[in-house]
Amino acid sequence: MRDFDFLQPTSIDEASRMLAELGDDCRVMAGGSALMLAMRQRMLTPTHIVSIARLDALRGISFDARDGLRIGALSRHCDVARSPLVQQHYPMLAAMAAQVANPQVRHQGTIGGNLCYADPATDPPSCLMALDARVTLASSRGERVLGMEEFLVDYYVTAIEPDEVVLDIRVPAPSADAAGRYTRFRRTAAEHRPLVNVALSVRRSGARCHEARLVVGASTPIPARVARAEAFLAGKAVTAEVAAEAADIASADILAVSDSRGSEDYRRDMVRVVARRTIAQLFDLAADGDTP
Amino acid sequence: MSKHLIAVTVNGEAQTMEVPARRMLSDFLRDDLHLTGTKRGCETGTCGACSVIVDGEVVKSCLSLAVQADGCRITTVEGLGSGDALHPLQQSFMQCGGLQCGYCTPGFLMASCALLARNPDPTVDEVRHGLSGNLCRCTGYTQIVESVMNAAEKMRGN
Repeated sequence: MRDFDFLQPTSIDEASRMLAELGDDCRVMAGGSALMLAMRQRMLTPTHIVSIARLDALRGISFDARDGLRIGALSRHCDVARSPLVQQHYPMLAAMAAQVANPQVRHQGTIGGNLCYADPATDPPSCLMALDARVTLASSRGERVLGMEEFLVDYYVTAIEPDEVVLDIRVPAPSADAAGRYTRFRRTAAEHRPLVNVALSVRRSGARCHEARLVVGASTPIPARVARAEAFLAGKAVTAEVAAEAADIASADILAVSDSRGSEDYRRDMVRVVARRTIAQLFDLAADGDTP
Repeated sequence: MSKHLIAVTVNGEAQTMEVPARRMLSDFLRDDLHLTGTKRGCETGTCGACSVIVDGEVVKSCLSLAVQADGCRITTVEGLGSGDALHPLQQSFMQCGGLQCGYCTPGFLMASCALLARNPDPTVDEVRHGLSGNLCRCTGYTQIVESVMNAAEKMRGN
């Protein structure tokens, strides 16, 4: 690994000015698990690392019945998974966080770092998009808020400006009839990264789906909502046939990637299976295979 | 490039040392403190042989910088037992055949130790989930899981 200077600013303003000055020669470090891997493999060779670990404004998880959930960007995946607030109000988010990568990475990697890295084969972005989360970006110029769909731009690319850091992630307060489910599929149990993931967040009463946000990720360059499947589910009593048809739409409508981890055809097939099971399980339909 | 004075507590002993920014935690433990129980395996965060406990949580020391551990309490495999007295986990790994070549064992011991501290009475599935960041190429994992279940029982005082 190439040598570098390690900088530890103590305020957002100081961090932002450092980042503006150093530009492309520096990288921001939160937990560091992804950054260290990229640097050890010489995919990145920054001359400076700006650690944001001392920015206390980026810490903490809080919930308010009106404003919803605030997750500080430096919250680790294990913090999200174990938070009683997240478990109580957003069980799909807590369950997702408990499955990211492996225990060691969950203890080191942060939700903010995960979003900024924008690796397609990961879990949090899909789940957060289904929950209509927003990302707060902060710099010495002030703050701005982006929805997940604006924040994620492409394969490893986000809308973050060079002098910005992610301050927090906000999730709207759930309605009384909210329910959700997140499912990831791996080819083998030894894999740490999902090949496909599906996040579904709905408003429902019994079998009736009032509104749905259906997101497919990991087999797409960035997670994407499937508008036609969402419109199809809205207002319907969800049966096994409805779940299967919505899953067919998801499989057909996504922009599927094809690479060494899985061909486009294989990925579309797995999206169909995972989407169908996710919908079926959320709507308590008769057992439709095991959770993939 | 930049150097940093870091103060850490390793296996109960306070250590202060100047390290270059690029020093990995695994290299700091092995090369600077000569605690060679922690193994370097894949060095890409996959195999878990370098697992150590930092402030109560198991992490991969090949993916963290030493400077990130400034102010932290670190436990390595050398801190598990005391002198000739083995930790119950070490006894169980011996008793149940939880190792063959042994290279991955320090990592498994540390991941198991952190797992049992948080969940003293785990199910087999919880043990497998808790050890999913560690690879073993010899045992096929069955005896490793048995070792941890056996140690959990001992540590609960049964």
